[in-house]
Amino acid sequence: MATMKAGNLQKGIFILYKNEPYEVTKAEFYAPGKGSAICRTKLKSVKTGNTVEFTFKSNENVEELDVNAREMQFSYFDGDDVVFMDPRTFDLVTVPRSLLEDKAGYLISEQAMYLVFLDEKVIGVRFPQKVILKVIKAEEAVAGDTVNAPKKPVTVETGIEVHAPLFIKVGESIIIDTSTGEYLGRATG
Amino acid sequence: MMNTWQSLKKSKELLQPFLIREKVIDSCRAYLKENNFHEVETPKLLPQPSTEPFLEVFETTLSFAEGDSHRAFLPSSPEFALKKLLVAGMGSCFEICKSFRNGEGRSSRHNPEFTILEWYHTPGDYTDVMNDVEGLFQSIHRAVFGGNDKLFTLPYQGKEYSLATPWERISVAEAFKKYADIDTDTLLSDKGLVKKAHEKGYAISSGTTWEQVYNQILFNEIEPYLGVHTPTFLYDYPVSQAALSKKKVSDPRFAERFEVFLAGFELGNAFSELTDWKEQEARCLADLEERKWLGKTQYGMDADFIEALKSGMPPSGGIAMGLDRIAALFANVPAIQDVLFFPIDELFPHT
Repeated sequence: MATMKAGNLQKGIFILYKNEPYEVTKAEFYAPGKGSAICRTKLKSVKTGNTVEFTFKSNENVEELDVNAREMQFSYFDGDDVVFMDPRTFDLVTVPRSLLEDKAGYLISEQAMYLVFLDEKVIGVRFPQKVILKVIKAEEAVAGDTVNAPKKPVTVETGIEVHAPLFIKVGESIIIDTSTGEYLGRATG
Repeated sequence: MMNTWQSLKKSKELLQPFLIREKVIDSCRAYLKENNFHEVETPKLLPQPSTEPFLEVFETTLSFAEGDSHRAFLPSSPEFALKKLLVAGMGSCFEICKSFRNGEGRSSRHNPEFTILEWYHTPGDYTDVMNDVEGLFQSIHRAVFGGNDKLFTLPYQGKEYSLATPWERISVAEAFKKYADIDTDTLLSDKGLVKKAHEKGYAISSGTTWEQVYNQILFNEIEPYLGVHTPTFLYDYPVSQAALSKKKVSDPRFAERFEVFLAGFELGNAFSELTDWKEQEARCLADLEERKWLGKTQYGMDADFIEALKSGMPPSGGIAMGLDRIAALFANVPAIQDVLFFPIDELFPHT
């Protein structure tokens, strides 16, 4: 563990808050003018997944947790668990599906991603910002309203639905933003 | 990433929040003028800015062809200049202007250059200003939503608020009791409040001050409950937080100051203005001393301001409101940057 000043908190780091591990999901530094500087944060409990808001004094000490992120590949689903493999050592790591939040639909075989470890226990899964998935179901485009950048739901290989432009057809691969679930573009090549 | 002007060129719909911003500003101006406030302009280049200890300022050098040069500052608010105009006999007046604060974080609620709506109700006090704010917001609401809604419903980010009067009014002492279970004696005790904060589990070190824990409890335990249905006036601040407000005659442990909250925004800060020049001079000097201790830019006191108070300032209530925040609320956008054509991150990207 390392001690840091709350004013330096940043999104993505892990800290000890009320003696429990939390991930910082939002951190905004404020110098409010009428008082000393503060840092407003949103913290996600590693244990429960619940989010709390807390305002730190910017000069107060916070314990940063030494987490390390290892690159792993998705292997398969096993009931409520997800199994990942270390591509160098072939070690398998089992992670509860709940840690993926609502992002299980972005997992395809051998998808490379980072698992976040604290004391050899997985406490988080970091997806790449973008994934490329193949479209397996899409209605034919209907002519008509083309003014408001129309979208239609298409189904991709993992079974989830994404809103994509009308011209997207079955068999094409599309790029999806994993943090918003939005269609970003057509994957070429 | 596209800059705002490029996004606007692509999609005309994105212009909507900016058109609402324009309406908000038009109706502020119209409402205040209808209520006999004069609109005035004050300098944006000053030999001394105001003395708030926690605000960092922008400094430049003013040079003349004749060879003399001067330190010059951008104002963090037009307060001192407007008060000189009150002394001059201007009567109730307002200014809509840019103000500048340096050293703040990049956040959805702040921009180093921002727009203040500041007005003074004279003769008057902070309760007159509360009534002005209520009237002003209803007037903006009519301009933006058409004026048929008697409940003055304001939809914002998936929730609904009402601007119907009366708005919630709660004193700082009541709020600490109600939301943080801290009684007034503990609230006002230097050691008592720090001890209480420690019991609540806040990080306390030997350097932790009353001001720090007061603000931390306010932010964590009280502000989340303010402005959740109607706007809330949080009023009567401990006298150490008086800033430029008058002490309460009935209870000098508190000062006649209020802040107004709605939907997670602190929208404005108001005072029954301090008119006693001796007290004002003492507070300015204490502020400047604290700036030294905090390592902020050093400058002198605006002696002309003290001179003005000496010649007699009428009893006045005044408020500074964040116009960008008000525009963001009425436009129903999450960040003030959504109602700024040139937000700071586009001009000075994070490196």
